[in-house]
Amino acid sequence: MSEPRFLIVDDFSTMRRIVRNLLKEIGFNNAEEAEDGVIALAMLKATKFDFVVSDINMPNMNGFELLKSIKAEPALKDVPVLMVTAEAKKEDIVAAAQGGAAGYIVKPFTKATLEEKVQKILQKMATA
Amino acid sequence: MTSPLSCDRAGFADDGATPTKKRKPRARKRTSAADATAPATVAAAAATEEGGMPAAEVYQRIGHLTRTLHDALRELGYDKELAGTREQLPDARDRLTYIARVTGEAAEKVLNAVDRARNVQEDLTRQADSLRSRWQAVAAYTAADASRATPAGRHLVDETCAFFGTVGGQTDATNQILTDIMMAQDFHDLTGQVIRKVVTLAQAMEEQLVKLLLETTPPEQRKKIEHTAPPGSTERLDGPVVNAEGRDDVVADQAGVDDLLASLGF
Repeated sequence: MSEPRFLIVDDFSTMRRIVRNLLKEIGFNNAEEAEDGVIALAMLKATKFDFVVSDINMPNMNGFELLKSIKAEPALKDVPVLMVTAEAKKEDIVAAAQGGAAGYIVKPFTKATLEEKVQKILQKMATA
Repeated sequence: MTSPLSCDRAGFADDGATPTKKRKPRARKRTSAADATAPATVAAAAATEEGGMPAAEVYQRIGHLTRTLHDALRELGYDKELAGTREQLPDARDRLTYIARVTGEAAEKVLNAVDRARNVQEDLTRQADSLRSRWQAVAAYTAADASRATPAGRHLVDETCAFFGTVGGQTDATNQILTDIMMAQDFHDLTGQVIRKVVTLAQAMEEQLVKLLLETTPPEQRKKIEHTAPPGSTERLDGPVVNAEGRDDVVADQAGVDDLLASLGF
């Protein structure tokens, strides 16, 4: 696969910027941002993305709803969704996994954690 | 207004023709199966069947207690305190929103500074690499013939080469520090979510206070209190865990997330 295209979804611009910079440091320069699930879904339907990094607690459409919408859309269902969120409740983590999330990172997180999860998901995609 | 004990809004109404019809509580000694879903009689039916007091008496008692509470609040002057508290809540909300905005702006400024510093570091690395290769050529030239430089000159050339050789490592270390500074700005997201939750809570409290004040205030003065407070959020999500100690429904860190998912086979 050529360099994957990321979509970073978070209502806090600071966090979008941090994730974007971290991805750049890891070696992924191709990333765009959306501030909630509604905007993200529209972007996903309009252009091709290879990877979604999404927050959960967002206005308009939260991360769970976005995940559900992505998995319900035949053209998008194979796009991996990595949840990066402050929600640390076990039921939320399990719900995300059962809903088809490719990974779950709890904030605050480190660059090493993000790199490990992203690489693991990309490797899984490559071997699928 | 629908009675707080009404079941209609919860979808339990059995009257298909008038599912949202408002019904007043009625005094009843007995309840039949056909009437069991009547909004005002649900609690009464349960109370009567369990040998409790009849519905009419329950409502009468609640009404009496409410009246007594309202009178007591007014007589003790607490209605004014409630009004004062209610007036302060929007101010508290504004202050919290201000904190969220200013800390957000501060975090953005830091991120901008980090970006600028990274650019400076990249330029420094590039220039150092260029100079190092040129100084290495000078070192090779002077080393080839002892007459081409004095011992002090050769020493200076060697030191200069060694210095430029370390610049790359130093800029890498500085970039790591810049990454740490950048990561620390996630406080804005985390505290912002907590502040948003508290603001929502303050809104809900304000609405409850307004309702209480409306009930304790004479009708002719109610206009002064009524306002259009935004409805409270029904968001279920909690945001960051402020204190995980003693809680087993949350994970404390990323290792907890990974362990949980692994235990479930994900």
